[in-house]
Amino acid sequence: MKHERPPKVIVTKIGFDGHDRGSRVIAACLRDAGMEVIYTPPWQEIPTVVKLAMEEDADVIGISSLATDHLIVPRLMDALRAAGLADIQVIVGGIVPAKDEKVLLAAGVAQVFHPGAALDDIVTAVRALATARHAKQGAAA
Amino acid sequence: MNAETNPLQAILAGDRRAVARAITALENDSDSAHTVRAGVAAHVGRAHVVGVTGPPGGGKSTLVSGLIRQLRARGHTVAVVAVDPSSPFTGGAVLGDRVRMGEHQADEGVFIRSLASRGHLGGLARSATDVVDVFDAAGYHTVIVETVGAGQSEVEVTRIADTRLVVCPPGLGDDIQAIKAGVLEIADAFVVSKADLPDAQRTENELLSMLTLRRGPAAKPPVLRTIATTGEGLRELVDWLERRTQRGSRHAATEDRAARDLVARSIAADGYGRHLGFELVAAARGTATVRMRVGPQHLNFNGRCHGGAIFSLGDMALGLACNSHGTIAALIDGNISISTGVEPGDWLVAHATEVSRSRKVGVYRVDVSRASDQAHIACLSGTVYVTGKPVPVAVTGERPGLALN
Amino acid sequence: MNKPVPQIAAADLPQAQARWEQEFAAGAGRPEPLRNRSGVEIKPLYTPRDWSGAAYADSLGFPGEYPYTRGIYPTMYRGRSWSQRQLIGLGVPEDYNARVKEILALGGSALSLIPCNSVFRGYDADEVPAELLGTCGTVINHVGDMERALDGVPIGDLSTAMNDPSPFTLLAFELAVAKKRGVPWTRITGTSNQSDCISHFVANHMFFRIALQGARRIVVDHIAFANEQVPGWNPLSIVGQHMQQAGATPAEAMAFTLCSAIQYAEDCIAAGMDPDRFLPRFTFFFDISVSLFEEVAKFRAGRRVWAKLCRERFGAKDPRSWRFKFHGQTSGVDLTRQQPLNNIARVTTQAMAGIFGGLQSLHTDGYDEVFSTPTTEAARIAVATQNILREEAHLTDVIDPLGGSYYVETLTDQMQQKIEAIIDLIDAAGGMYRAVEQGLVQKMIGDSALAFQKRVDAGAETVVGVNKYTVEEDPADYPALDYPDRARMDAYLTRLKAFKAERSAAAVDKALAALAAAAQSKRDNVFAQVVAAAEASATHGEICATLRRELGFGQPLTIV
Repeated sequence: MKHERPPKVIVTKIGFDGHDRGSRVIAACLRDAGMEVIYTPPWQEIPTVVKLAMEEDADVIGISSLATDHLIVPRLMDALRAAGLADIQVIVGGIVPAKDEKVLLAAGVAQVFHPGAALDDIVTAVRALATARHAKQGAAA
Repeated sequence: MNAETNPLQAILAGDRRAVARAITALENDSDSAHTVRAGVAAHVGRAHVVGVTGPPGGGKSTLVSGLIRQLRARGHTVAVVAVDPSSPFTGGAVLGDRVRMGEHQADEGVFIRSLASRGHLGGLARSATDVVDVFDAAGYHTVIVETVGAGQSEVEVTRIADTRLVVCPPGLGDDIQAIKAGVLEIADAFVVSKADLPDAQRTENELLSMLTLRRGPAAKPPVLRTIATTGEGLRELVDWLERRTQRGSRHAATEDRAARDLVARSIAADGYGRHLGFELVAAARGTATVRMRVGPQHLNFNGRCHGGAIFSLGDMALGLACNSHGTIAALIDGNISISTGVEPGDWLVAHATEVSRSRKVGVYRVDVSRASDQAHIACLSGTVYVTGKPVPVAVTGERPGLALN
Repeated sequence: MNKPVPQIAAADLPQAQARWEQEFAAGAGRPEPLRNRSGVEIKPLYTPRDWSGAAYADSLGFPGEYPYTRGIYPTMYRGRSWSQRQLIGLGVPEDYNARVKEILALGGSALSLIPCNSVFRGYDADEVPAELLGTCGTVINHVGDMERALDGVPIGDLSTAMNDPSPFTLLAFELAVAKKRGVPWTRITGTSNQSDCISHFVANHMFFRIALQGARRIVVDHIAFANEQVPGWNPLSIVGQHMQQAGATPAEAMAFTLCSAIQYAEDCIAAGMDPDRFLPRFTFFFDISVSLFEEVAKFRAGRRVWAKLCRERFGAKDPRSWRFKFHGQTSGVDLTRQQPLNNIARVTTQAMAGIFGGLQSLHTDGYDEVFSTPTTEAARIAVATQNILREEAHLTDVIDPLGGSYYVETLTDQMQQKIEAIIDLIDAAGGMYRAVEQGLVQKMIGDSALAFQKRVDAGAETVVGVNKYTVEEDPADYPALDYPDRARMDAYLTRLKAFKAERSAAAVDKALAALAAAAQSKRDNVFAQVVAAAEASATHGEICATLRRELGFGQPLTIV
């Protein structure tokens, strides 16, 4: 029996904030939705996240952000592009003011989720991004 | 180097993105998987493949992290295949082993790939062997395979690894009995982790006495102690690993690995063996070890294990051993003598060895023992006729594991 | 025609209750049982049959006497109000100093300092991306910064709380400042807030820099140091807040906190300290959720359980050692981004729960907590809230006013049972350190967090403005995040560079070498060397880096 290719998702935090209740809940939720989740603790360096995404051939990177950690997400996007990993989709969840959300989207972030977002919506969005990446890679993947 | 236009060359050159994508293809058995498999096959055999198994919470990941530290200090590149279980209900998984190897997260000389078991039983993922081969072909000096930590059933690691480490934390108590059922037989070395805990000495003693019972005084696997947090014992462990590779056991290991592979495929294709619940424990050229748990379907009208079932188990081991060279051999004369009865629930382990073999004829002996106390249950002997035709599973390239489901 | 008024004799209570239950069912039907966050079933009515005053002497007693259910002091707020200790932390030391002076003028009676996230992580400001500096706390990297932060603040007369985990450099900087000003250390009072290393590893909250076992050692060293040299200081603040914010139920949070406290007490006893010496300086720090009665019961039960542990498990003889002293902070996790002014009502409810629960000091969140560190206006409202509760609602006029309520007493007993069951579980796992290293605690908290989120998503748990009573809101209306002034940060970095250049490099090297030696020694007091290094002008980053090298980098212990 050939298995459906499950989405492979990294759930992580960059920057300094350590509150990870949200990211843990999301990781558990994605697992319960049939996805393969690499969950990391907070305080990951950007080069580490890039290396992780490359080694695990992740479909989606989910960044959980409180405080102003989202301000360094554009640096992550640059680093992913430089490593030839521009096809890996990035979503951000957490406290992101409206003006900063525009900046993130312009930097290539696929979607920003705010507090109060329903878990189901996040799961659906992640699955759609992963499916799109699989389709783009085609049967060769 | 463009990983897209020539993936195989990229892998052989150690291009990390190409390696990662190749692994994905193998995991998903996509169209390019076959090409990858075929392409890397000619380039394997250099890496030292180390399997690490043991009960959950036993400190496997921490030990692996310590091993990596030692290997890197000696200038070696390391790849890690970390297997985590998929949920049988949702199919999802949290791949958390690599989090415990955080100290290497920025080291370009270390490549860690997490695999979800995706329903595969036996302690690994279906694609694990292929993934190991990709790392081997990419030039990694050591490939560490960390199994799902069920503690009782990671016998699959035997056919994938050159060296098998079984990690036992102190204080296992009764759990030591639980991991005896076949897994202890496969170990090349035992590691008592967290050796700073009070029970460490007792655990070491228990292991040593069990090994003496099972294998006698000669050629026992070493029992090493480590404290991963301080690094104690790790240097000695890696010294021992290096000596294993230098002694030329790797060449033998490669052939044995091929034999193990073949035996695994054979038992997977054996309808009768599946029917009776036989499981492969270990194999090499000319030897095989299988086990079964005595269940209701094995009982006679006296409520004990049917002699025929014991014979079948022994015959399975014998058949696998004599076919492990790749040519079909069939039993033409065999007999069994049984020394004691067996109760339902017992684990029986049958170990077959080659007594002699010529071009046309082979003689094999099988010892069947009870796992819980190593008691001798039965002894078989058999003569086989070597037909000379190749074993079919060796030809069709059927991968094991699929049939086990 | 009037129904006859039933006269109920005590013996008739069961029938009277049965009558009421029928009437209740006729009116309200038989709905699903309600449960509070800790899983205790909540009935519509409680009567003397649930709890009666006959139990008063044993289970309640009087305030200030064992088992302290009604309060740890005989006078409680009639004698002295709870301290209004607002967390303050933002920008550079001068910004902190200005805000402190404002808050003190408005009636805040004690200080708290929360440092920048970079400081929590153990780095100096010049080692991290500049855009992350000063957003959640004040950047303080050396004794000069502390001098500026506390400029004009009478540290010998005020209580200060330093939010700073192992190796407690902020306290070291404060002691260095005291020495320079000629204020004897015996006059320094306050708390090493959130010094509990176990909770940091469990809830990954911010705070680990050094490996768990290394942090464990430094905690004990610093308790010993404070007991000897800074006797007015509470070196240990054991934290329930992180775990509850991470999703632990109130009962779990209380239980896990007490389990951590047990480990610290046992470590101190093993180090030869006298329980009657160190226990009076153990303090606790809890989250206060909006589940009002549950929180009150949680705190009352906590007091009872702790008193029993101190007297019976640790063998402390002095009644002062049995007192459960705690600081409460209103829970930011209950606050919402939608309709943010609603948070004022939430914070008020949470504050009331803490006051009825008998806390010793209280921090109330600003309504904009969800967005950033509070604006001046939000900070003012937060302090005013406490003043209104005390001086307009007169919540301090009666000690333990909810005591004797059939509901609250029953719930206190039930919360106690839940708490003690979890303590037994952790004991069976070998104590809190072992349980945390095995991931047991993290798993329980993660399960509770996921369960709660699912209830919210399903609408079973209402969050006003989020899953019910929602209105269309324009995100542009939300209060803007106040990013620290980059120019001020750059000026700070320039001053930091100058500080490092002007100090004696030889003195710093010598002090750091002594620190490393103490860490290696296994017996020397590491914290004493942290203080010496602070006095020698070593920076926070340098001190942390030295100790990380010797004692190990903190590795996460999360599992999902």
